[in-house]
Amino acid sequence: MSSKVNIKQLATGVPGLDAVLGGGLPEFSFNLIAGQPGCGKTTLAHQIMFALATQERPALFFTVLGEPPLKMLRYQQQFDFFDSEALNQSVRFINLSEDAMAGDLDRVLRRIVEEVTTHSPGLVFVDSFRSVVLASQGNGDSHNKLQQFMQQLGMLMTSWQATTFLIGEYFTETDANPVFTVADGLIWMRQSVERNSMVRKIEIMKMRGQPTLPGPHTFRISSKGIKVFAPLSTHSLESGRTISPAIASRALLGVPALDEMLGGGLPRGYSLLVAGPSGSGKSILAAAFLAEGARCGETGVIAAFEQRPDRARNPLVARLIEEGRIGLVDSQAPDVSIDEILLLITDEIQRLKATRVVIDSLSGFELTLAPTFRADFRESMLRMVSALAATGVSVLMTSELEDRYTDLRFSPYGTAFLTDAIIVMRYIEVESRLRRVMAVVKVRASAHSDQLREFSIGADGIHVGEMVGNLDGLLGGRPTRKAAAEPPPAHANGADRV
Amino acid sequence: MPMQNPEGNRTTAALAALARRAGPDADAAQIAVAMAAIWREISAALTPIIGNRGAAALYQRSVHLSTALHPWLSVLMNSNAATLDASELEPLLAQQTRAEAMVGGSDLLQTFQQLLASLIGASLTERLLRSVWNPL
Repeated sequence: MSSKVNIKQLATGVPGLDAVLGGGLPEFSFNLIAGQPGCGKTTLAHQIMFALATQERPALFFTVLGEPPLKMLRYQQQFDFFDSEALNQSVRFINLSEDAMAGDLDRVLRRIVEEVTTHSPGLVFVDSFRSVVLASQGNGDSHNKLQQFMQQLGMLMTSWQATTFLIGEYFTETDANPVFTVADGLIWMRQSVERNSMVRKIEIMKMRGQPTLPGPHTFRISSKGIKVFAPLSTHSLESGRTISPAIASRALLGVPALDEMLGGGLPRGYSLLVAGPSGSGKSILAAAFLAEGARCGETGVIAAFEQRPDRARNPLVARLIEEGRIGLVDSQAPDVSIDEILLLITDEIQRLKATRVVIDSLSGFELTLAPTFRADFRESMLRMVSALAATGVSVLMTSELEDRYTDLRFSPYGTAFLTDAIIVMRYIEVESRLRRVMAVVKVRASAHSDQLREFSIGADGIHVGEMVGNLDGLLGGRPTRKAAAEPPPAHANGADRV
Repeated sequence: MPMQNPEGNRTTAALAALARRAGPDADAAQIAVAMAAIWREISAALTPIIGNRGAAALYQRSVHLSTALHPWLSVLMNSNAATLDASELEPLLAQQTRAEAMVGGSDLLQTFQQLLASLIGASLTERLLRSVWNPL
């Protein structure tokens, strides 16, 4: 049996935060919650406090100068987690403003020790730390005094077996603040503003002894409190797919000729990019994909970024959504992050045990994102595709493609290599008519058709016709009729597998 | 400031506490003693949480609002008060008639309670002052 100390991890009660922390909050740790005014520090502290405080593990919340306690209570009680009944039972607020106002850190420390001795709390919060710093500036040699104060407080609280939080303001990250050295955990909260969008982010700069998820993570504050959008770890989900040469199970798209072109449908767990110009039928194909799943008793999820909510959706999809066989992710919230959308999608996948996911479209998705995330769109896409793949669902994504006849491209983001399969749709001009063609460009590790097939869209969906056999230069948009009078083969299927 | 009373039972709680402490046949002096005790308990319940100055400010605001009905309370006004100190209230109440001491004293209490409730809500107010109304 190991004699090493076992550090218990406390569940913070903040959705997503435990994952970012690497499992939870180490018991008896000494933590700093830092950030600009208004970024949610006190809310985070309260949410953690009300989640963790019990009769056996009571919490003391010291208010030091910061915002007046009356105001804090007035605003914090708006959150669902605020429990009036816990006050003076498992949660106790203690005002130290007068002690701090005197500018004597020793007196503040003494008061804290007195209260801690009296109540033996398991959790201690000091809000805000900035006022402690300011108080210390009245006396000379404030830096040393502050360091001393911090060290004593940290030591005391650990010895008293209290998990402690200092809530601070106005820190600059590069500042060699003594508190950074003393603290076991550093939780940084930020509001990043770009153009007219505001995104809240939380970052664990330090957490002793724990593998935290690095980098900033977005969060939102609602009436339920803070929710952190932790990136989905591909490891935490069920085993990833294994691509075997013989892909056993396929998901049909609901367009028989196209399924045939794909080599018998889309291999399950694959991501498919449907790229084409506006109006070429991408959303209709996506709807067929979901409808075919529903016909076979499968459920699906559609993340719709294209249509405005006041306009009618594809009636087939609308009916399936109404029947609850398709989950709709339709984020109208401003300034969303990829992680937030991904979480919404995976929540729906889990709720419905869905096997098919549609993202319609990537272009609309990109526009929904806060500007600050658009720069990393490609990286984020890669993360999203692999996270979805890890859940085992088959994904169909549509992508707007400007029809440029001089070059052949499949997506404006260079995302084509990320997906397992690609279908491209194009317009061609034949005898002064716009006609549509499509081709299967790629199906990873599987045989597929290399034909360019004409297709039409009718009231009942997509009809794939014959290969456009007697024309050349289709992808240039202005095909020329072949010189030879040879008739095109009637059925070219079968012979064209790679 | 409009002082609507969203929960009438709070008033009853304050009055009931006063009646219970002072007794049914209390004279002005006994009411004054009971009232002073209630304020000491309120101060003890709130000061640790909202600070001396926070509690003093609430008390002073309540006194100010109550002078509209009971002008004799105005001698309690003190813009410099650093603590919730109701020690001056006791001799003041004792000088009033029995009825006026009862009504004036409980109006002040009720105003204070409603003011606090308007800021932090009725349920939190009830939670914080529970020990005053229902002493163990």
